[in-house]
Amino acid sequence: MKSLTPADLLPITPQPVPPAEWVRVQLDTGGIAAGAESTLEELRAAVRELRPGLAVLPVGSHGRSFADPVVEIRSRGMPDTLYGRVTPEIAPELLTAHVRGHRMLDDHVLASTERGREVNGPVSHLLVLDTGAGEGKTAFFQFSFIEELKRRGLADQVQVVRALDIGIHDEGVVVQLLPGAVTYTNVLAPDVARIVEESIIQRRVLDDLLWKQPDPQVRIVLRNCGVIDPEELSDYLAQAQGYQALRRALVEMTPEQVIAEMKVSGLRGRGGAGFPTWKKWDLTRVQKTDQRYVICNADEGDPGAFMDRSVLESDPHTVLEGMIIAAYAIGSSMGYFYIRAEYPKAVARVERAIQQAREAGLLGKNILGTDFCFDAKIRLGAGAFVCGEETALIASIEGKRGSPSPRPPYPSVRGLWGKPTSINNVETFANVPAILLRGGAWYASHGVEGSRGTKVFAVTGKVNHAQLVEVPMGTTLRQIVFDVCGGVQDGREIKAVQTGGPSGGVIPDSQLDTPVAYETLQQLGSIMGSGGMIVMDATDSIVDVAKFYLKFCVDESCGKCAPCRIGGYQMSQILDRISRGRGTPDDIPTLRRICLAMQKASLCGLGQTAPNPVLATLRYFENEYLDHVKDHSCKALECSALVSVKLDQAKCIKCKLCIKNCPVGAVSADFVIDNAKCTRCNSCIEVCPKKAIARAPKSEE
Amino acid sequence: MTQRPHDPSAATEHPRESWKNDEAALLTMLEELEKRHGYIPHQISDEVGRVLEVRLERLRRIQTKLESSVRRDVQTQVARWKAEEGNLIMILHAIQNQHGYVPREVAMELSRELSVKLARIYEVITFYHYFKLQPPGKHNVTVCNGTACYLKGAGGLLAEIRNHLGVGEGQTTPDREFHVEVVRCIGCCGMSPAMVCDGKTHGRLKPTDVSGILAQMKTPAAAPAAAKEVHA
Ligand SMILES: Cc1cc2nc3c(=O)[nH]c(=O)nc-3n(C[C@H](O)[C@H](O)[C@H](O)COP(=O)(O)O)c2cc1C
Ligand code: SF4
Ligand code: FES
Repeated sequence: MKSLTPADLLPITPQPVPPAEWVRVQLDTGGIAAGAESTLEELRAAVRELRPGLAVLPVGSHGRSFADPVVEIRSRGMPDTLYGRVTPEIAPELLTAHVRGHRMLDDHVLASTERGREVNGPVSHLLVLDTGAGEGKTAFFQFSFIEELKRRGLADQVQVVRALDIGIHDEGVVVQLLPGAVTYTNVLAPDVARIVEESIIQRRVLDDLLWKQPDPQVRIVLRNCGVIDPEELSDYLAQAQGYQALRRALVEMTPEQVIAEMKVSGLRGRGGAGFPTWKKWDLTRVQKTDQRYVICNADEGDPGAFMDRSVLESDPHTVLEGMIIAAYAIGSSMGYFYIRAEYPKAVARVERAIQQAREAGLLGKNILGTDFCFDAKIRLGAGAFVCGEETALIASIEGKRGSPSPRPPYPSVRGLWGKPTSINNVETFANVPAILLRGGAWYASHGVEGSRGTKVFAVTGKVNHAQLVEVPMGTTLRQIVFDVCGGVQDGREIKAVQTGGPSGGVIPDSQLDTPVAYETLQQLGSIMGSGGMIVMDATDSIVDVAKFYLKFCVDESCGKCAPCRIGGYQMSQILDRISRGRGTPDDIPTLRRICLAMQKASLCGLGQTAPNPVLATLRYFENEYLDHVKDHSCKALECSALVSVKLDQAKCIKCKLCIKNCPVGAVSADFVIDNAKCTRCNSCIEVCPKKAIARAPKSEE
Repeated sequence: MTQRPHDPSAATEHPRESWKNDEAALLTMLEELEKRHGYIPHQISDEVGRVLEVRLERLRRIQTKLESSVRRDVQTQVARWKAEEGNLIMILHAIQNQHGYVPREVAMELSRELSVKLARIYEVITFYHYFKLQPPGKHNVTVCNGTACYLKGAGGLLAEIRNHLGVGEGQTTPDREFHVEVVRCIGCCGMSPAMVCDGKTHGRLKPTDVSGILAQMKTPAAAPAAAKEVHA
């Protein structure tokens, strides 16, 4: 590619028209693990026979991990359709049905989250899904609609499809009419005839059933994810106004103006602490020096969080563009991406993005023909959580052990190789181009006072739909977990939501209506963190979860300072004792004391925040700790030492599946479980067809 | 040595056949002979001597070849990164990519090439979990124990793997067939609990799936069928 000039980027309208018909296959780590690469191959082969003009394009992930592999199709005569769980086996069938037969496949459609207000054309497809708990009535309603349509002679004009997800939860039977996406909720059997008569035949909206609530999600960071090919700069330029923000910054703005715009936007760091981004840039800019550095922190260490990976894999150029703008603002000529080695796909895509940007003159000398020069390199992390901390990260880039050093001096004063350095998170950078394109005021119009814009969360754990969610700040936890992600699996009760990973806290269900913002989460004893959000249900033991996080911090402590090294170890010993039923009531004040010492005296953020999960659980779930230390019982039946596994002879049908599946031979020939042998692996509980085996409190024996 | 339930052939193998390649078998054989005869017959000790001589020669040849190829490899890597400050970690990544771990002789060679003390290289290697000092097994099982997978039963998977292989986190079976590793989040939290077996990711697992997957890893012929595992 020849070097680009500002003039090349001027036309805001897309340059080469993207192909009118396409099949997009979402290829990120999650998708690939689910078989998306084979799906892509199968689709390519099928397209060759079916319709050679149809482009099959690899894109990044839209975020709906629960439905991987995900495929989106735009083809003549059909509404744009997103399909989930498109395994290689069904891919050709799906494509043929969609492209040739104009039919959608049952149980794979991920319905549009747009909510139409009027029926403005002939309805071609009707999606149904029972979003209520318990036995699904989806098939019954599908049948009723088909019968009704037959009766009205419309059977071959409207196809009734069972959807996989419709983005609405717990609202009874939901129906969506396509095209137009008019969505009805709580549809009852008598409504079937009304919908067919009034909405399909007379094209009138039934106001009493209409779902008017807009989807709470707003996509700013994820705007291009699942839309553009992350491996092609040309796609980013053509479809996503790529590098227009950089052009605007370099040609129309001074560095001070860029920083001022960031100030208006109110963007705060998305890596954890929430430091105002403009301020960090400004502090680095005002240092008198010959060299400043920018670093992109992509060491996403929070286990169970995958926002940064997904953004890097799905839209690397946006992050790179954000970094170049930051470099311009602070006056830096060299930047580093510090990426976890465990994310090979992200590394490869960023590497490719850097290469392409260099070829296009977007990196290197005289970017876009101006006198601004900047280049970026990749450095790999090597599996140490503490390297996410900025001073440790700098030590690691310098090729040393990743031990933190005391701050101040902050990296903005003395950072990489002793030079002023600005470190920002992946998501922080991904926001920057959007802010410069649409203005800081526009960005600040999202979110709430003090926490502007949107935040991406990776919602996982016992949630129905594990996925990435991007919502404006101020959205409540309940909206995120229930409205967007469909609530808790198997209809269980929610117990708590963990935010902020190992440095964060646990928010109990009574606080779920708290709006998510930096300060509100802090008041609850948690933190925003980088965006991991883990849903726990009644079967999860809080003590066990606190132990898990603490053990994580103990394993990851670099050992440089005593409060963290020794305090963490002592606490994990105490928690271990408690979860074995050997704790005493004195253990709880001891835990609190150690927590305080660690918070006050540790050198870096890891040690200072490591007690947070323990403190937060003590704050909201002290009862559970007391159960463990006083009654030696675990109500969640999770702590193995405090439960036994029992077989209910009355329910047992002597099928011997438990005997066959027990790895340690703890089930005797006459179906009694030897709890001394049993390792509580749950194998028998899972295989028993009659649910005759269950965990029970140990005292019952 | 512990039992190896996954490898019945090892138990039935005739000891006489294996001693030529295996020190442990050789020692057992010698011990047995000594027990039986009270001494080691000279025909046997001569035979053992000849075999050992041949093996030693072979080892010497491999060693020299290894040394020159190790040096060449290390030199290429060092040349690639020479100009960059703080290059040690990136070079170690390249080495581990090539060998699957950081072999001692390579680390020594690197120390000479970079003129950095060996202790400093080891200081860095041992700090980072990602770098390994032991070669991986023939088959590698990586279990995710990130928060999402932990909550959804990664512990059960690990227990089941231990039941089948007799080894746990960070260990290799005595026959070097299987190596078990525990990592934090492989980025597939959407399909937790997950594990990676010889590069292939399996998701939404139950403990009862483990035996099938391990069996498939041993008989690669059945591998294509494994592709379905993930979508279950
Ligand atoms: C123990 C520890 C781990 C951290 N891990 C990460 C991480 O994985 N990713 C990240 O962006 N920030 C992480 N941080 C926060 C960084 O130190 C730093 O605040 C952040 O990268 C600054 O970027 P921001 O201003 O854009 O948020 C971590 C901090 C600590 C104390
Ligand atoms: S607080 Fe922990 S991780 Fe941080 S410097 Fe001290 S020992 Fe190391
Ligand atoms: S926690 Fe296991 S894949 Fe993320």
